[in-house]
Amino acid sequence: MSGVFVIGAGMTQFKPHPDVEVHELARQAAWDAIVSSGVAPRDIELAYAGHAYQGQCFGQKVLLKIGIVGLPVVNCENACASGASAVWGVYNAIKAGQADIGIAIGAERLASAKGGFTPLVADDLESSMGRVMPAVFSMMARKHMERYGTTPMQLAKIAVKNRRNGILNPYSPWRDPISVEDVLSSPVIAGPLTRLSCCPVSDGASAVVLASARVAKRYTAKPVEIRSAVLASGIRNGVGMADDHSEMTVRAAKKAYDQAGIGPDDIDLCELHDPFTIAELVHYEDLGFCAPGEGGRCVDEGRFEVGGDIAVSPSGGLLARGHPLGATGVAQIAEMFWQLRGEAGERQVPDARVGLAHTVGGGVTEIEAGATSVHILVS
Amino acid sequence: MTAARDLRPELFVKTVPPRLVCSRCTETDQLFYPIQAMNPVTSRAGTMVREEVEGGGKLLNFTHVVRGMPGFASPFALGVIELDAGPTITAQLTEWKDCELSMGMRVELVIGEIKRDADATVVIGPMFKPVKGKR
Repeated sequence: MSGVFVIGAGMTQFKPHPDVEVHELARQAAWDAIVSSGVAPRDIELAYAGHAYQGQCFGQKVLLKIGIVGLPVVNCENACASGASAVWGVYNAIKAGQADIGIAIGAERLASAKGGFTPLVADDLESSMGRVMPAVFSMMARKHMERYGTTPMQLAKIAVKNRRNGILNPYSPWRDPISVEDVLSSPVIAGPLTRLSCCPVSDGASAVVLASARVAKRYTAKPVEIRSAVLASGIRNGVGMADDHSEMTVRAAKKAYDQAGIGPDDIDLCELHDPFTIAELVHYEDLGFCAPGEGGRCVDEGRFEVGGDIAVSPSGGLLARGHPLGATGVAQIAEMFWQLRGEAGERQVPDARVGLAHTVGGGVTEIEAGATSVHILVS
Repeated sequence: MTAARDLRPELFVKTVPPRLVCSRCTETDQLFYPIQAMNPVTSRAGTMVREEVEGGGKLLNFTHVVRGMPGFASPFALGVIELDAGPTITAQLTEWKDCELSMGMRVELVIGEIKRDADATVVIGPMFKPVKGKR
């Protein structure tokens, strides 16, 4: 056995937590991850903490509450990919022999603290001129519709699918199904995207404990291998994410597949970056699950439902589990851990053996986006 | 009288018509907006010179934002504009309520109110106006 393994995971529910401060949310997730791993807190040798807006030395403040002090702690900010970047950091530290056991924590408290808005990035030129994420993804949708004939109904079906999945996930706050008509008739945010086509801004935290091949089986008979971990940033382009594909995701996915020796046809389940319905559809194509332009047809055919070719967003995804920015990428790895061990309860994907997690983060003027990550995990 | 400020220094000049402040590389002739200290493509320093350009261009994509960030007068229209001079920029559109926006339509630079600060100071910056009847 070689490589890096997930041996424990923890998570809070993703919803407004007005009475719980963010370090406590993160402590709950971290402690659940540590307990589920069987690792003694003193045996954790390093930590990465991902968040976008939670202040200095966030990870140290969280771990202090558990009695874990003195170890190397790296706080990383990569917008919506912050949590995934934390996982990538721990993975690489273990891979490099810096430690046998590390913890990746991700957390954010925005729904309660900032009135539901992701704060304006004032130092970014186009953000300061009015660019907001729903607008960017609305233009992504317009471009995809113009080029490939994708329809609002196909996009709405993605929101319906993810809500159906999220209802089965105890970490999601939603329990009511929605229909295509509900999605299409909900208030327009940035046409064609309606409120139910967009993810909420949530509060929440997640954590995973990773271990080297040398020690993983001391703690569990069912470690989940991270077969590849890829982090990339955007290259110069004039349109940002307002395009019909994500070059950055295509590039990162190819590298991850090559590293893992696994192709898109081998993937059983996927947690991808779906803050808006159009993003999920475009990423089907970017990740190689179907050819460019075929995402809409695949939605109509149900190919990415649980029980279809690849179960996409079985947790409900960002759309129907929630999106506390820094927590999201870690939560995807936690979901993979539970699914690939057969411990996902009612939302379990049958016979899941290979999973892919994907995030995108950060609108940055002059490049496509700030960061993307692709992790491929194997049971 | 309402206070006003420019969004950033060295973004535009209020000539008639207004112009955008760019950087041109003396080695590659490539134009960049906003202004750059060094060439971000060749990674070479000492090759950039300041250049003002007119703001005519083509609307590559657009959307209507029903609810923007605090301080922005919602609803507003946002577009991706490919400038005739070369660079591409995402910015607000003006006078969009009276015309049907379409991909490929001509737009021209105007300097207008982008948003207001919390103290009601008007923030001025580059915006683009559809040129009716032209593609």
